[in-house]
Amino acid sequence: MTDAPGAYREESLRQALATDPRVMESELEVSIAGSRVVISGTVPTEGRRVAVTDVARERFPDLEIDNRTVVPTFPAAAGEERVT
Amino acid sequence: MIRIAAAGDLHVGADSEGTLRPALTEIAGHVDAVLLAGDLTKAGLEEEAEVLAHELEGAGVPVIAVLGNHDLHSDQADRVRGCLEHAGVVILEGETHVVRVSGASLGIAGIRGFGGGFAGASATEFGEPEMKRFVRVTVDAASALRSCLEELATDVRVALLHYSPVRDTLHGEPPEIYPFLGSYLLAEAIDMAGCDLVLHGHAHRGTEWGITPGGVPVRNVAQPVIRRAFGVYSLEPQTRLARSAASP
Repeated sequence: MTDAPGAYREESLRQALATDPRVMESELEVSIAGSRVVISGTVPTEGRRVAVTDVARERFPDLEIDNRTVVPTFPAAAGEERVT
Repeated sequence: MIRIAAAGDLHVGADSEGTLRPALTEIAGHVDAVLLAGDLTKAGLEEEAEVLAHELEGAGVPVIAVLGNHDLHSDQADRVRGCLEHAGVVILEGETHVVRVSGASLGIAGIRGFGGGFAGASATEFGEPEMKRFVRVTVDAASALRSCLEELATDVRVALLHYSPVRDTLHGEPPEIYPFLGSYLLAEAIDMAGCDLVLHGHAHRGTEWGITPGGVPVRNVAQPVIRRAFGVYSLEPQTRLARSAASP
């Protein structure tokens, strides 16, 4: 897998992150440049953020994993929109 | 005034205990209903639904939801639905629900919806059986949504979906995946039947605000989009008679 062209390797990891039961996030962004894998986007919990690194490391054990995903902290609500 | 709190794409898993309840407690006294726009769970597992049910305990207001694609992933949708319904959550799939609010009525038409794309670049019910089945799911969902909205004789009517009816609220997503994020057929149904507000989720990188070609406000309430636990929307009740009189 590490010898496949970059676009295939990126997509294979993106697919894995979308379907691996530990993560299951389909909207994460993956880029691979040289020996570094960069993953960004948001995940709902710290456990899933850690799992992103685990999944990437299992797929690309020889590459450096730069997990830039964040677990956002949301306020309960921010004001109110009057629609009608 | 009717106040609705809405959110989508909670993706609740076994590790989500305590992630929703504080926000719900904070807003519950200020809204008349909580609407959830699908992807309630991470993988559509009953144990995940149990975590969500626990988070929603004591909401103090009606909670109405549709399921999303994540909720169907493990082929346990019936158990997910049953678990949430046991906790008092109303799950809609081509169905309606009415909430009474201080003498006014809030009608919700709920359905997950599906993809297919938008006018000018949409899938057609043509060719391979697989493609025809794909498009037929959305055609049928749109038809059910229209029937539900037409059936509601309430002062306020809200369409609750998972998939988007418009492109507007997808801005920020790669255009290549728009056909997997929603369908114009849903907007057509909404515009033909009439509606006061549409809520959906599914597009995490999209935009909150949109509008159908017929002028109905659309809000993408996926949590990563609204960047808060709930969006709160207020609507002035209008009798159907007054609404008809105001129409050109």
